[in-house]
Amino acid sequence: MFELILNVLLFLFLVYAAIFNVIEAPVPDKVQRNPYALQPGTWPTVLIVMLLVMIAINIVKILKEKKGKEEFSFGAFVQGIPEFFKSKLFIGMLLVVIASIILEPLGFMVTCFFLLFTYAILLGDKNIIRNLIVSLAITFFLYLFFGVLLKVNLPRGTVTALRNFALWLESLLP
Amino acid sequence: MIQMLLDGLAVVFQPGTFFMTLLAIVMGTIFGALPGVSATMAVALGLPFTYSMDPVSAIVFLVAIYCSSITGGSIAAILFKIPGVPSSAPTTFDGYPMAQRGEAGKALGVALVCSAIGGLFSALCMFFLSPQLTQAALSFGPSEMFAITFMGLSILTSLDSENILRTSISGILGLLLATVGQDPMYGVQRLTFGSNQLLSGIEMIPVLIGIFAITEVLQQTISDDRLTADDAEKAGASTIKTTMPTIKEWLSIKWVILRCSILGTIVGILPGAGATIASFLCYSTETKLSKYPEKFGTGIIDGVAASETANNAATGGAMVPLLSLGIPGGNAAAVMMSALVLKGVQLGPLLLINQPQYLSATFVSMIITNIVMVFVAIGIAKAFAKILSVPYSILGPVIIMLATIGSYATNMSTMDVKIMAIAGIMGILFRVMKFNSAALILGLVLGSICEGNFSRAYTIYRADIGAMFMRPVAGTIMVVCIVALIYPFVGPVIKAKFGKNKEKA
Repeated sequence: MFELILNVLLFLFLVYAAIFNVIEAPVPDKVQRNPYALQPGTWPTVLIVMLLVMIAINIVKILKEKKGKEEFSFGAFVQGIPEFFKSKLFIGMLLVVIASIILEPLGFMVTCFFLLFTYAILLGDKNIIRNLIVSLAITFFLYLFFGVLLKVNLPRGTVTALRNFALWLESLLP
Repeated sequence: MIQMLLDGLAVVFQPGTFFMTLLAIVMGTIFGALPGVSATMAVALGLPFTYSMDPVSAIVFLVAIYCSSITGGSIAAILFKIPGVPSSAPTTFDGYPMAQRGEAGKALGVALVCSAIGGLFSALCMFFLSPQLTQAALSFGPSEMFAITFMGLSILTSLDSENILRTSISGILGLLLATVGQDPMYGVQRLTFGSNQLLSGIEMIPVLIGIFAITEVLQQTISDDRLTADDAEKAGASTIKTTMPTIKEWLSIKWVILRCSILGTIVGILPGAGATIASFLCYSTETKLSKYPEKFGTGIIDGVAASETANNAATGGAMVPLLSLGIPGGNAAAVMMSALVLKGVQLGPLLLINQPQYLSATFVSMIITNIVMVFVAIGIAKAFAKILSVPYSILGPVIIMLATIGSYATNMSTMDVKIMAIAGIMGILFRVMKFNSAALILGLVLGSICEGNFSRAYTIYRADIGAMFMRPVAGTIMVVCIVALIYPFVGPVIKAKFGKNKEKA
C-alpha cells in the first residue's frame, strides 16, 4: 500500500509541477519568436508527460499485482503507521535530518558529536561512557584531519558561544 | 605516447600524490571488503580528501579508490558469500563453495591476480582507445552527443529487463531533476518552486552521496545480518593464506581471462553499464562457452576468474567515455566527473587534447593501483577479522559524517547537506517503490548534457528532428538505442515464437 501511495503522491506532485512550475520566469521575446529554438519549457514538459504516463501504468500494475492480498489494504497501512514512527529507520532518518539542520547554527563539532553519539545508541551501543569518549575522539579527529590538515572550511556555527569555542580551538593549533 | 607516459609518472610519483594514492588503495580495498559500502560509495566517501588537491591528483586518488574497492569486494564474497561490492556477486557462486572446501586461499589468489590482469588490460585499452575516441569525437556535433548520452540511459533501462518500467521512470526522474534551475540555453528559471538556492540547479555531489552513502547506512540500521568479527573468526579469516593456483590451472583459464578482459572493458565503455553488469554478463557467457558448464557454481576457479577479471576490466572501460567525451561510463565515474567539474575542469573531447596529463596520470594510477592492490588485499584479507571488529555503531555514523563533510565542502554550503539528507531519504523511498537509484543518478548526471545538445541540434537543424538523426553516427546510435529499448518487450515474444516453431519441427 505504501508503494501505491508514494506513486500516487509522485503523480500528483508532477501534475502540480507541470501546471505551476515548469516555467517560473518570462521567456525572452527573441526566444519566443524564434521558430527554431527549443522553448525552455518544452524539455521538462515532455519529461513530465512521459513520467505521468509511466507512473499511471505503474499504479495500474501495482493494483493488478496486489489486488486481493490481505496486507494490501488501507486499514493495514494505517495500522502500520505508529510502528513506522517507532522504527529505527524513521529515527535514523530523523537524526540525519536534524544533523543537517543544526549544522549551520551549531557548527561542525557539536553536530558531529551529536550524530556520532545518538546514532551509535540507535545502532545498539549500550556502553554510554565508551560511546561518549569515542564520539568525542572521532569528532576531534575529523575536525583536525579535514578542518586543519586538508583545510576544508568546516562550519563554526552561528551561535556565538560555539563559534568562539571553535575559533579558540583553532587558535591553539599551529 | 612515451612523453605522455613520462608525464603521468611525474604526476603520480610526486611524494604527496604517491602517498595519497597508497592511502586510496588501502582505503578502497577496505571499503570494498566491507559489505554495504559499494565502489561508488567508496569513491563518494573519498571526495572530501580531494578538495585540497589539484584536479589531476584528485582523479588519480579517486581512480585508485575505485579500482581497489572493486577488488576488495571479492574478499567478503569468497569468505562469507556476501559480496563486498555488488559487482562481486557472481564471485560468490564459485568463490564461496571453494572456501567451504578449504580452498579460500586459492580462490582469493585467483580473484586478486585476475582482478589485476583485468584492471591492467583495461588500463591499456583506456590509454590507447581514449585518444582515438577523442579524435573521432571532435567531429561529433550536438546530435551525436545527444545520441551517446541517450544511449547511456537506454542501455541501463534495457539491461534491467525485469523492471524496465520502473527503471525508465527513475532515469526520466533524474533527467527532470537536472532541469531544476536555469535552462542551459536561455537562463529561464524552471522548477525551483520559488527557492533561490535552487536557481543554480541541484548539485550532483550531495545527491550522489545521499543516495549511495546515507541510504545504505539507513538500510544497514535496520539490517540484522551485518557481518561481525566473530563471523570472520569462525570463517578462519585470520589464518587464511592466499595461495596461487598451479601453472597448469592458470593455463586452463587463460582464455577465460582474455575473453572477460575484452568483454568487461567493452561493457565498461558503454555509458550506463558498469562493473556489476560486466561481471554478471561475463559469468553467464563463460557458463555457455565452457566445456564443463555443469561445474559452474560448484566451486571452480573459472567462475571466480570470469567475475573478477570482468569487474576490474570495466573500471578502465568506464574511464574511456569520461575522459574522451565527458560522459561517465557508470556511477563511480559520475562521482569522479562531479569532482572534476567542481574543480572547474571543462570535460569533453578537448580535455585530452589540451591537457593530456589527465589520461596519462589516470593510466599510471591504474597501473600502480592494480599491482599494489594485490599485496594490500592479501594483507587486508588476513586482517579482515580486525577490520570487522570495528562495530557498525561506530562505522555507520562515521560514514554519515564523511558524507556530510563531502557534501558541505562542495560549495561550503549547508544547503547541500540538507539536499544530501533529502536524497538519502529519497533513496529509501526509491527502494520501497522498487525504483532504480543508479538510473536516477545517471539521468541527473546526463540530464544537462542531454538537453543542451538536443536544444543546440534542434536549432542547427531548424527544428527538423528527422534531419538531426540522419547523420551516420547519430542515426546508428539512435537505432541501437531503439533496439535496446524495444528488445526487452519484443525479445521474449520472439523467443517464445521460435521455441514453438522448434517444438513443431
